[in-house]
Amino acid sequence: MKIILILTLLLFSLQYAYADAYCSLRDPVAQIQQLYPQKTNQLSIVKTVDSSTRKLVKLALPSNDLHFSELGQHTLYVAMKNTEALGYVHVRSEQSKWGLVEIIWAIDKDLKIKDFTFQRCRSPKKKLLDNKYFKNVFIGKNYKELKTLLSSDGITANNILLDKAKDAPELASVVLRCALKTLLITDILWGEELKKFNP
Amino acid sequence: MEKYRGFGKKTMRLCVTIIILISVPSYGDFSDNLRVSLDGSARLNKNIAANNTSRIYALGLDTHKVFSSAYGDVGYMVGQLYLTKLSNQTPFSSLFNSPDDKQFVIREAHLNYTAGPQWLPNIRLGHFTLPFGLEASIDTNGRLLDYYHGKNLGTKLDWGLGFNKVLSQVEYEFSYTMGGKNEPKTDDSSYVFSGRIGSLSHYDFIIGLSFLDAKIDNIQRKRFAIDWQYYWQTWGVLGEIAFGKDDKFQKEWQEEKYSLLELNKTSLNEQLKLYGQYIFTDREGESKNQQLINIGVSYQLDAKLELSFSSRQQLNTPESGKKQNLVRLQLRYRY
Repeated sequence: MKIILILTLLLFSLQYAYADAYCSLRDPVAQIQQLYPQKTNQLSIVKTVDSSTRKLVKLALPSNDLHFSELGQHTLYVAMKNTEALGYVHVRSEQSKWGLVEIIWAIDKDLKIKDFTFQRCRSPKKKLLDNKYFKNVFIGKNYKELKTLLSSDGITANNILLDKAKDAPELASVVLRCALKTLLITDILWGEELKKFNP
Repeated sequence: MEKYRGFGKKTMRLCVTIIILISVPSYGDFSDNLRVSLDGSARLNKNIAANNTSRIYALGLDTHKVFSSAYGDVGYMVGQLYLTKLSNQTPFSSLFNSPDDKQFVIREAHLNYTAGPQWLPNIRLGHFTLPFGLEASIDTNGRLLDYYHGKNLGTKLDWGLGFNKVLSQVEYEFSYTMGGKNEPKTDDSSYVFSGRIGSLSHYDFIIGLSFLDAKIDNIQRKRFAIDWQYYWQTWGVLGEIAFGKDDKFQKEWQEEKYSLLELNKTSLNEQLKLYGQYIFTDREGESKNQQLINIGVSYQLDAKLELSFSSRQQLNTPESGKKQNLVRLQLRYRY
């Protein structure tokens, strides 16, 4: 009887499912180490991206939507050096003409971009953007500052960013949209809880 | 071998104790960092060669829980319990007692302790997929897609202890399991040593080396394998080649060669996935090798609902004279 009660309570708490079984979940351990070399561990905080989050994203970034794989429960990692929080790591996907592009974002405690690395990007032009020259446009910027790089169509990057993107304008726009959604969703879902790491 | 088994059992008991003690402080609010999904599927199998139609229904809970402390994550737990009902299924798995049986089936059920120092591997304990070949980095639980772990190794999952780690350039997992397959026990001195070391699984090109030394169902198996995955835009080319030998009657070893080649294609939004596989198996003592073709397609209607189809055809005629010819259709819903 107790088991049935627990299962019933669990079922009522279910929200958006993850399309793949949970045994396929893997933490981006190597990439977190690369973005925060001094970290000793990471702390996971799992939150649910649901239809209300999706609505808020559409409202803040018109012409944009979340891919179905972006709904469900997602993890934000706090890079830890013993008990001290060094910053955050958030992985998000963005649809592109080369399939999904997955980017691992390092975010500082003021919710500004610290760095990023491609987890999965099957564009042949990835190398053109995977360098400090391009990344420096993002580093140190918050959501509001990054939004000024978006052109009036709400989808493509403007010339300030495209000038740094060499021959990869489409991928540069994908990276920008991914950065904006990452910072926005981090603030909406995790913002309150992260305040304890940045008193 | 007895010495290794004794060591394995003692180590396992010690690890259970350590994991329980370490994770106790993080039990405070069990719902924190807990993922739970209700996972249901209905599968229709049409075995044209045997003129048989069967169905498999599964309904279960898929859970994932991260345990944490003030210093960060301590580890995580995966638990998958399914009520599975067969309908006219022949042949049926050893988990079941008849073609129409129903049983509670544990798929993955393990704890992975991850809070050790950088140089120390993570420790996995429970019922998990054997670290070997393509299956080690591609989850196929509950899907029609298959890399034939069960047929090649004697079981896909087993109860035991594993050591794993993701380093800056490589990742590895080695395990000692008891060979009882679905039950945490040894059966007629059964055991499985297996392991895989490979490049990082998020790269576009992944290569891995695996080994297996096992005794399951009174069959001794030794295997060595190389597997690879290469992704270019929305295309993927995957392969696995395994060499080894089996001793089925405790008399003499018989060599076995196995290879799988897969070409897959995913739509830009990842809703549609297509794959084709060519599988070649050659066993010493059998007059003919076995060549199979698998084609499959899956369509993710939304984050919850997936429809998939697969067809398996045998290319050459076996000694029995009946070529394999199987068509399967599955509807899966995760809530």
